[in-house]
Amino acid sequence: MAEREARLARVVEHAPDTRSLFLRLPPGERLEFRPGQFVSCLLPVPSSCTSATAERIIRPYSLASSPDDPELELCLNLVPGGPGSHHLFHLTEGAVVHFTGPWGTFVLDRAPDAEAVFIADGTGIAPIRPMLRRALATARHRLHLLHGIDGPALYGDELTALARDQSILTVEHVPSARLRDEVVRRWIDADDERRRHFFVCGVGDIVRTLRDLLRRGGYERRAVQYEKW
Amino acid sequence: MARIRVVFESGQPERVIEFDPAKAPFQHDGRPGSILDVLLANGIPLEHACGGNCACTTCHVIVKQGGNALTPNEEEEDDLLDKAPGLTPTSRLGCQAVVTDPNAEITIVVPRYTINQVSGTHG
Repeated sequence: MAEREARLARVVEHAPDTRSLFLRLPPGERLEFRPGQFVSCLLPVPSSCTSATAERIIRPYSLASSPDDPELELCLNLVPGGPGSHHLFHLTEGAVVHFTGPWGTFVLDRAPDAEAVFIADGTGIAPIRPMLRRALATARHRLHLLHGIDGPALYGDELTALARDQSILTVEHVPSARLRDEVVRRWIDADDERRRHFFVCGVGDIVRTLRDLLRRGGYERRAVQYEKW
Repeated sequence: MARIRVVFESGQPERVIEFDPAKAPFQHDGRPGSILDVLLANGIPLEHACGGNCACTTCHVIVKQGGNALTPNEEEEDDLLDKAPGLTPTSRLGCQAVVTDPNAEITIVVPRYTINQVSGTHG
């Protein structure tokens, strides 16, 4: 896919190690994407990476913005020793970011024809946010967001306000360490309803854990969509 | 030495790569010793839009011979392959399939297309 470029328009610091980068495409350009997709940033190879054969490293980041938003938003953590996030955290406004995309099959084009549950851990809320917005626009069945987060909730005010305004949506935040138990309690032990659809995103093993719990708990494989970063 | 014969659906000339799996990783994308790792290190630019992180299907390859010399599919790989264009019973993601047999004789086909993308537009 063709390489694109955008300029860093502004940075919002959610927490010392969590930021949103807002990227602006050149005038007249736009990026068509589906809620949930990611872009792959093409970043300089760090000097520590002596075995590198490529000129640049590829680092995928979910789009936290919606397709109609004026800027592309990447929401990311500073990963200790991670060359991609380290580079992006040190960019200043106006810097050019090269990327390809959109990519990915963890997407939501319209609300499922059943109750839908969105489960995010930490910055896993990034792709969930535009998916949830899209789901809200088309939903006829209940929507739930369960966000595991330690510290200030990412997009907490915005999502809580959405739930306040639209009774079809519930939004809850729990500490990350409780995410697994809360999922079991709410959607496995509580009832025998197994027609729900799940969209799960996070970093690391928690995503596989939740996927396995839900599928082994009786939900259809294809009703449990996930993205593990 | 292990050997991978790479056939391109696009019609470009096939390549044969010989390598020692014990010396992996050969570069920095995909699992060490994976088909993606081996191909990239030998100048074959297999697509890997997500950087070899098992998040897309652009490194989809079809294993024609020697599948037993690769690590078995995991659930995550199968879930992604489900959405790959031109899926076959021997499809693999190049970033996940690791060559384990030091004497492997593997043949793969690199398909022509990927579809887990929508085109960007320039207005």
